[in-house]
Amino acid sequence: MNGRPLTIEVSRLSKRYGPVAAVRDLSFTVEPGVVTGFLGPNGAGKTTTMRMLTGLVSPTSGTATIGGRPYRRLRQPSRAVGAVFDASAFHPGHTARDHLRVYAAMGGYPDGRVTELLELLDLAGAADRRTHGFSTGMRQRLTLATALLGDPRVLLLDEPSNGLDPEGVRWLRGFLRRLADEGRTVLISSHVLHEMQQLVDDVVVIRRGELVAAGPWSQLAGPPAVLVRSPDADRLITALHGHRVETVEPGRLRVHGLDAPAVAGLAARHQVRVHELVAENTSLEELFLDLTSDKAATP
Amino acid sequence: MNLLRAEFRRLLATRMWRGLLLAAALLGGGLMGAMALVGPQNFSPPMPGLDTGTGVRSLLGFLGYTAFVPAAVGALAVTSEYRHRTAAVTFLFAPRRGQVLAAKLAAFGGAGLAYGVILAGTAAGALFGVAAIRGISLGLPTGTVLGLLARVGLAMVVFLLIGVGVGALLRNQVAALSVVIGYLYLGEPLLMMIPGVNRLYPVLPGGATAALTDFTYLADAISQEVGSTAVHLLPPAGGALLLTAYALTAALLATILTLRRDIT
Repeated sequence: MNGRPLTIEVSRLSKRYGPVAAVRDLSFTVEPGVVTGFLGPNGAGKTTTMRMLTGLVSPTSGTATIGGRPYRRLRQPSRAVGAVFDASAFHPGHTARDHLRVYAAMGGYPDGRVTELLELLDLAGAADRRTHGFSTGMRQRLTLATALLGDPRVLLLDEPSNGLDPEGVRWLRGFLRRLADEGRTVLISSHVLHEMQQLVDDVVVIRRGELVAAGPWSQLAGPPAVLVRSPDADRLITALHGHRVETVEPGRLRVHGLDAPAVAGLAARHQVRVHELVAENTSLEELFLDLTSDKAATP
Repeated sequence: MNLLRAEFRRLLATRMWRGLLLAAALLGGGLMGAMALVGPQNFSPPMPGLDTGTGVRSLLGFLGYTAFVPAAVGALAVTSEYRHRTAAVTFLFAPRRGQVLAAKLAAFGGAGLAYGVILAGTAAGALFGVAAIRGISLGLPTGTVLGLLARVGLAMVVFLLIGVGVGALLRNQVAALSVVIGYLYLGEPLLMMIPGVNRLYPVLPGGATAALTDFTYLADAISQEVGSTAVHLLPPAGGALLLTAYALTAALLATILTLRRDIT
């Protein structure tokens, strides 16, 4: 990574398309060194916000800055920010290498950087094939390679796991985690909460263009809780000594502060029979369910 | 400078580029060769032969009529950036959109020049070749013919840029192609048939191109057909200036509109 880490700051940002307010008075901060999830149902204004961050869309009011500057005023934008908006943004007649060479020239990067990225993203074997025959995963990696040409300090990804198979999603998680660990700022939008669960550290949740919640995932999610059904409930309570346990009804307990595997492990160690283990929705999941289920509500 | 290099790379990496040069050779050498071999006197209706000045000018004029090809290529190239969604990537790398468009215009100006040189060069080869084989002495001096061909070649640069401008303006590929091809290939000749409107012909792009080679055959044929008064073309220099003005206007409009427009 070149240079100091960069913070994203969105301040009182609004965007109207005619009578429709796509984004309303939105403010949040995205810190370097962590992966931040930008969450909200479809049509919440995530894409519009990210496009305003990168100068593709002009805000109606408010500001969006990266390291204190609006995108269009960054001296070498592709060195500061890499952004992926479409899973497939290349000319079908270009080869992967052609495509990267166009943007390498644009950013002023040597051809060696192209070869480096083709290797980093496991595209070396397909480098000289035309992109129209590429699989979804290959397209995804080529768009990522394009965004990474300038070794940027900020990475913005709009719904990157759309259409990826589980293995692709797992790979992406590892990859983004590594980038964040290097001190980069990573903002990744999604309308699917559970995809983000093992990936993001912080979250920004929006609905209908407005901020709903922002902060570390662990804080917003609250401590985990597990519902346990056991014929040996009394012995289980003893085994769980030191943890907060509620008896919901005879034979059914709610254990706070532990997740399902931890409870199952404890039960096994104490040879307690367990008939059912259900992880309860965290408060973030409850919040997200509320957001996605009230689409019919008046705007 | 980086932007220009990028745009040339973008252009040269597609197969369209080779197609463009092939089209130039086919239209220049092929079309001109075929027309010269058949001989204008055998056209329907017959036209003055190659041994007359009017005959040679007419063949060169028909060559000018193929200007919709580079125009379509220009429109195609620019709109493909929107169609394949690379426009957003381009503006991420180069947020100063005016510079991007300037680089594009320069790169396509180069491409148009290559097209024009090949078109005029192969046409010259075909024309002089056929004349020599058939033992015809052309109705215009060699220098004049070469000069006229050079004008046709340069007109191709202008039309390619007009295509780029229309493409950047409309952004939708099908719409831009329909407008460019529909207007240049069909629309303008149709306009000429409407009494009154045909007086505008000399200042339309097609009329300005015809003025470059003093090619009045098409206009005359149509005005005879509909019984309107003959059309008087602009002098060649006026035609050249007008064409340049069209290209500049297209480029300017495209630049201004692209500067602030949201890329969604």
